[in-house]
Amino acid sequence: MSSMTDDIRLVELALKGDREAFEVIVRRYEQPLANYLGRLTGERETALDFAQDIFLKAYASLNSYRPAYKFSTWLFKIASNHMIDHWRRKKIPLISLDQPLDGGDGSLTPQIPDPGPSVVRKFELAEIRTRIERALESVPEALREVFVLRHVNEFSYEEIADIKGLPVGTVKNRVFQAKEILRRRVGAP
Amino acid sequence: MMSCFSADRIYLYLEGELGPDDRRAFEEHLGSCPICRDALEERRPLHQAFTSLPPLEIPLGFARAVMARIPERTGTALSRAAAFATGALALMAGLLALHFLLGKSLADTLIQAIRSLTGGFGGLLPLLAKVLKSAALVLEILYELASALAGGLRILFSYLGPGTLGLILSLGSLLLLLLLFGAKRLLSLGEKT
Repeated sequence: MSSMTDDIRLVELALKGDREAFEVIVRRYEQPLANYLGRLTGERETALDFAQDIFLKAYASLNSYRPAYKFSTWLFKIASNHMIDHWRRKKIPLISLDQPLDGGDGSLTPQIPDPGPSVVRKFELAEIRTRIERALESVPEALREVFVLRHVNEFSYEEIADIKGLPVGTVKNRVFQAKEILRRRVGAP
Repeated sequence: MMSCFSADRIYLYLEGELGPDDRRAFEEHLGSCPICRDALEERRPLHQAFTSLPPLEIPLGFARAVMARIPERTGTALSRAAAFATGALALMAGLLALHFLLGKSLADTLIQAIRSLTGGFGGLLPLLAKVLKSAALVLEILYELASALAGGLRILFSYLGPGTLGLILSLGSLLLLLLLFGAKRLLSLGEKT
């Protein structure tokens, strides 16, 4: 049985009152959800609290899930809306689609690569990871979120576009900008 | 010579997201372009790091903690309350339908039904036909109402405890009864004039 069919069956059982079925869903998605929330909140405890809230929201609205869509996409839509509410409450300005997203480092439109000296290759992989973790916090939320969905949660660009309600091209551009900001920050002394 | 690839396409190449033609063209271009080779080698370790960030540690029993916060979906109190509410609604709607279809007060309808029963089955047939026809219509409407009600209650119950829900149902039933009594009074006034 494929994961998607399996998820649909679990949702059907949960809707009939089978709590164990929903617990299987929680166990299946706790790690991806925590990874996503951890990178967006920057705080482990907050991420775990949010993960609980999101599972509760998902359970309360299981009726609205349509089997035509992937359960993971549906769940991450709830998670994404939860994060948007959180950023609004914290009064973190959300970036509009038209606003240039350069993270304060100047223009980051796709262009012919800079032929300058390598700033990244001098580090070991573990060092690069550590630097990325640190630098992620300074990447604007709108860019960081799609970057995390793409590279931590391994959603396809189409799935991210569905989760965020954005065109695929916009998602690709945002992921690219997040990476270039990270590249500059990782290479910075 | 083919022009250089943009940085976003170099990332797409690393992700395996370029189509076969673009991929081949890029690989051919790399053989003759040190700038793109350098840009690719600069981004390769980054790409490796992006796709291998460590997972967040989750405490043991996290799923149990989530389940502890989730209310019972099949609460028997809810089932009883929903059955009671649906039954009460069906009875009220049935009586009202009879009242409007026969054009007589509820008491008169009941008396006529009893007389017909005691006077002979033949007098009861037209009344029975009307009742059955009305009942079918009412049941159909009630089925739709009950489905909507059950769906709404299920969502509501996931947010509220059984106590709060019981209180809301009681208040709702009371309000419905008051409305029905108000409607009956208005109709009675109409008959007198």
